[in-house]
Amino acid sequence: MTDAALVRSALAGDHAAFATLVDRHAPVCLRYAKRMLGNIHDAEEVTQDTLIRVHRTLARYDESMSFRTWAMSILVNRCRSALLYRHRRTARIILDEEAVGRASVRSSSTDVDLRDAIDRALAKLEPVQREAFLLKHVELLSYEEMATMTDTGISALKMRVQRACDRLQVLLEEDRYA
Amino acid sequence: MHSTDDEVPESLRDHMERLRELPEVREAWRHDLLAAVARPDPASGRIVRMMGRRWSMNVGTGIAAAFVCAALGGLATRLVQHRESPSLASSPVSALVPATQAAQSDHALLHLELVAPTATSVSIVGDFNQWNPTSLPMRRAADGRTWEIEVRLEPGRHTYGFVVDGQLRQDPRAARSAGDDFGIPNSVLMVQRPVGAT
Repeated sequence: MTDAALVRSALAGDHAAFATLVDRHAPVCLRYAKRMLGNIHDAEEVTQDTLIRVHRTLARYDESMSFRTWAMSILVNRCRSALLYRHRRTARIILDEEAVGRASVRSSSTDVDLRDAIDRALAKLEPVQREAFLLKHVELLSYEEMATMTDTGISALKMRVQRACDRLQVLLEEDRYA
Repeated sequence: MHSTDDEVPESLRDHMERLRELPEVREAWRHDLLAAVARPDPASGRIVRMMGRRWSMNVGTGIAAAFVCAALGGLATRLVQHRESPSLASSPVSALVPATQAAQSDHALLHLELVAPTATSVSIVGDFNQWNPTSLPMRRAADGRTWEIEVRLEPGRHTYGFVVDGQLRQDPRAARSAGDDFGIPNSVLMVQRPVGAT
């Protein structure tokens, strides 16, 4: 059954139809929000708010747009709002200096290092660059879809993606020698 | 460096598989979401979140609650102003981790991960839960290799470890405590007061 058909069923009161939409799209929404916000806790909260909003405004869904694009456009805005408050919500962990000097067990897994490195680099990007990079290269959206959901021109989005890629490469290179 | 608009630069390709991994959809989270949308839309009220659950209230109740909260908030502020701020040692070794500030205090909500692909159960223990191996079980992430949990901690120094299949383990990516207790190697972390916390 198509997303549009599921929306029609959900509007008619079929809760199972909406549950199917959740099962289809929640993983992708959570992935975007986690990468954008940096942790699964905030991602779950923002994604839940988004899908509740989607449910309440189902009647406004325009079938000329893909359901995913419509839901993601709400999610993108929710993530932007969440990031506005990020400066009040960021904490820092500092490893104890003396203990670091005595540490005998260190990470020897390059796989772990690689995973951490891209997370650290993503977190250092400007939010608009991170947003454009994730939508383009992780969510694999077209620039036309991105323009619709971000209310931003295509040329500006291309510039953001390119700058994000360039910056990520620099950050990853710096991380290798840190 | 970046050949076409749709291509990922070659040097980033190794990371894309990791970035495209889908996170686990927790059954409890899904259940809460579907329960929330199954309830009637409180058109005259708002949804507020308390302790991970959603609660609805009408406008009249909300206004009354706001007055009560304002009064309690003023009292709480007076009490907090008498608390002494913990001093934190600066360190050249630091790591940013995903973290959020708890809503009601200066506690930080920390996201901790441990890569233990062969483990069947993992929990976190430390001075913050009296080293109780059952109070903070970690959940396996969607990649099947990583275990994760969010914990709220007071700013300051904490010792902790992981209990992997019943055995206490040190965090392989953290530092060992300078004062290991009873010969058991503990990991140490310093939690800084979240920016903007009162």
